Amino acid sequence: MTTNMEEMLEDSVLLQCRVNNKPCELEIAPGTTLLELLREEMRLTGTHMGCMTGHCGACTVLIDGQVAKSCITLAATVQRKTITTLEGLKDAEGKLTPIQQAFWDEAGLQCAFCAPGMVLTATELLKSNAEPTDDEIRTAMAGNLCRCTGYQSIVRAVRAAARVMKQLK
Amino acid sequence: MSLHPQYARPRSAAQAVEVLGNLGAGAVVIAGGQELMPHVNYGRLMPTVYVDIAALPELAGITEKDGEVAIGALTVHRTLQRDAIVQRALPLLAHAAAQVGGGWQVHNRGTVGGNLVAMHPLYDIAPVLLALQADVEIQAPEGVRRAALGKILAETSHGLGTSSLLTRILLKPMQPDAGWAYEKLKITAGSYGSANAAAVVSLTGNKLSTLRVVIGAVSEQPLDASEALHGLLGKPWDAVAGARVESLCSASPKTLLDDQQGDATWRRAMAGVVARRAVQAAVANAQRTNK
Repeated sequence: MTTNMEEMLEDSVLLQCRVNNKPCELEIAPGTTLLELLREEMRLTGTHMGCMTGHCGACTVLIDGQVAKSCITLAATVQRKTITTLEGLKDAEGKLTPIQQAFWDEAGLQCAFCAPGMVLTATELLKSNAEPTDDEIRTAMAGNLCRCTGYQSIVRAVRAAARVMKQLK
Repeated sequence: MSLHPQYARPRSAAQAVEVLGNLGAGAVVIAGGQELMPHVNYGRLMPTVYVDIAALPELAGITEKDGEVAIGALTVHRTLQRDAIVQRALPLLAHAAAQVGGGWQVHNRGTVGGNLVAMHPLYDIAPVLLALQADVEIQAPEGVRRAALGKILAETSHGLGTSSLLTRILLKPMQPDAGWAYEKLKITAGSYGSANAAAVVSLTGNKLSTLRVVIGAVSEQPLDASEALHGLLGKPWDAVAGARVESLCSASPKTLLDDQQGDATWRRAMAGVVARRAVQAAVANAQRTNK
């Protein structure tokens, strides 16, 4: 096998994916991170830029329903995936999800820089585990740093969301 | 270095290796990106070409055949934690994959292949795979080869990530009566360890019949202390045996890390402590399993 290197190397990537339930087709520079794509190309600034090393979790999005840090995800590698950002959670009338409402009610967010990571991680958690223990909540949230709340109100918010979602079922 | 990197998506592992061979040192292999992208974001690495292997079928999936488990290099840590085959046949690996830092986000994207090829002294997976005596399968320019992971970690000419590709990790299932533990000394959940130890034991009566201990995060490379501990076989596990494990494992590192995780003197002491704790927990695990 001899590969034609000129054909193999591309200067741009044609990316097809779904973002917040809308099909997207974009031509992107190969080095584009998913965070840059969302914030700069698509103006979805609900996804925050924090540390750029994968520590803080402010850039969290859902890829096929699972949390990921978009600052350390190369956009070209999410071909044909479904991306959900914080903006994609609310319904057509703009109503908050029970998780977002619980963060509001319990003061789970203060400055809200960590909001994308906290809310989206809680979304993945409560989808697979309707009644998480405090320990399970803390383990799930471990990839997100918050410098305001001291985490107590975040755990409380996730617990409250779980209660509300159970009643809605 | 390049401000305008290019992109390549080879169709097979063999083609990926051929493409890498045709490119200079600036080409990088990318799948999950969890190891690579922080370096790119901070300008420590400026790739000329991203070689995307994320969709290569040969590197995906977990299978069990003829008494051997094969784990594709693209398997993410979250899958290692939850996969039925790994949970049953390699519970130590499923447990350790949950101790990796970065939270669910990193567990969902970070691949076991990327974790190994990074060869970072503080990472969790290599010590555990060494304790389980894993082999690795490598797609090299000359073809596919198989070698013990310990041998690959010790050599500098493996070419992984530059001219070769890690394709699969191959392991024998653990003995059903084996006890196991992974001990990680760390400041908070999710942080790097200052010393780690993976232990696998089996007991005959109350005596140790096998004992494998690998210590991580104290030296540049994980340290297999199993041979040094040979004298404990056939002996009961008690405080005397514990003290021997601690002193032998403290003595085993030839060179020590001296970094933010702790100075060299302390790391040497902790190498012994985590090893003793890991064997203690593995013995307790074996006793519970065989009750």
